[in-house]
Amino acid sequence: MRGRTVLVIGLIVVVAVVIQTTLFGRLRIVTPDLVMLIGILLALTRIRTEAVLGVAFLSGLIMDLLGASLIGLRAVVYTTVAFIAVRTKERAELGRVTIAIWAGVLTLIGVVLLILIGTVFGQVTLLREDALSRMILVPLANLAVAALVAPAFVRLVDRDRTALRYP
Amino acid sequence: MLTTKRSDRALPTFITLLVIGVLLMTFDVRLEGGGVVGVLRSGTQAIVSPLQRMAAYVVTPVANALDSLSNVASLREQNAALSAELAEAQASLVAVQDQLAKLELLEQIYDLGTDDQTVGRTVANVIGSVDAALIIDKGTNDGVLVGQPVIDTNGYVVGTVKSASAGSATVLPITATREGLTVLIGSQTGTLVSRAFSSELGLEMDLDVFDAREPVLAGDRVLTSAASTAYPAGLPVGEVIEDASPESTSLTTTVRPFVDAESLRFVIVLAWPPDPITAVSDDPVPEEEATTTTIGGETTTTSTVLEEVG
Repeated sequence: MRGRTVLVIGLIVVVAVVIQTTLFGRLRIVTPDLVMLIGILLALTRIRTEAVLGVAFLSGLIMDLLGASLIGLRAVVYTTVAFIAVRTKERAELGRVTIAIWAGVLTLIGVVLLILIGTVFGQVTLLREDALSRMILVPLANLAVAALVAPAFVRLVDRDRTALRYP
Repeated sequence: MLTTKRSDRALPTFITLLVIGVLLMTFDVRLEGGGVVGVLRSGTQAIVSPLQRMAAYVVTPVANALDSLSNVASLREQNAALSAELAEAQASLVAVQDQLAKLELLEQIYDLGTDDQTVGRTVANVIGSVDAALIIDKGTNDGVLVGQPVIDTNGYVVGTVKSASAGSATVLPITATREGLTVLIGSQTGTLVSRAFSSELGLEMDLDVFDAREPVLAGDRVLTSAASTAYPAGLPVGEVIEDASPESTSLTTTVRPFVDAESLRFVIVLAWPPDPITAVSDDPVPEEEATTTTIGGETTTTSTVLEEVG
């Protein structure tokens, strides 16, 4: 990764973490998981796979460190989701709608993994009464956000105005 | 354009990161959030909290507006309920003020010294949350330390400080921790434990009384016990929502906490225990010198306190 790309990704991650922990942390409605979505959308860019996994891991770790859950829990989940994203991105490259659905499905996998691994490690905070609604609404929210921002995100990171342009 | 080239090092990198992640989780469990893990948390908070504070200036009005919009339907009912509650509270306040005046009078009559021990309080804004944990805008610079109890503006128990940096801290509500809380219900002592799942009524907790002598009834208030090492005694925690009678010598029931942590905007961090150092004083105890004189068959004893001994 070049210096500018590192800076752009770093800024995006920091902004996502701040929005996730302040605005979305305060709202009592189900909100998207922006930090997880960044790991997913980075798979669509030209940056190296190892870098995608590293960014997903670090951003998950930051969220773990800021919250009260087990350190490493989100890091593992976001890395796993990013890895699946890297392996399946060809299926998403058909158009804006497929990218959105792909991001939604990957988010669903992430939320389920978060709840499953959290349960194994005794994280009561993840097993709140809204667990089921989170499993449905967080992926839907990420789906909507991905449909809106995925092309712009890829163009910004890759500095390629032609990226993800569909007829 | 998008590349389809796949790096050969993707799988080894993924496995390495997974192993690191699992190791971190294991360390966190083994160290129980302390040691290196605590330092890491504080360090990250110290870096991110200035940004969160800045964001909170913009976010708070937006979040409040959105919250108000989502709650607009129930506002009228809430207003009526709060008005009734306020009237009751004012009546109780008058009664308490009467009792307080009587108490002061009795103290004056019997020359009783009051134990004027106050607990330091730090009022903090909730600037965000991750999972169930709350992020507040006060940290070690304001006297907020790990382990201190946190209450809301009504005095109800919220939880404890899990980690603290210079400018912010993370508060873990009682409903989001596996550690039991020692509580008092009537004259009985029990343990309040968080539930993984809750019913549609909201987040609830299990109360276990192992030395139960009498039944508990719905509506009974649950308070923190003097046996608790994490909270001062007498703080309201919640109320019992199901009647329960002792079976053999134990009793189990459900308690609904008074505080819904997600709706909090302000919290109060208690500097508790208050200054434990002063309890163990090394100052020498003043000694008295007694002089006895007898005049005309009447004996008088005079005591003089010596300022310094030895």
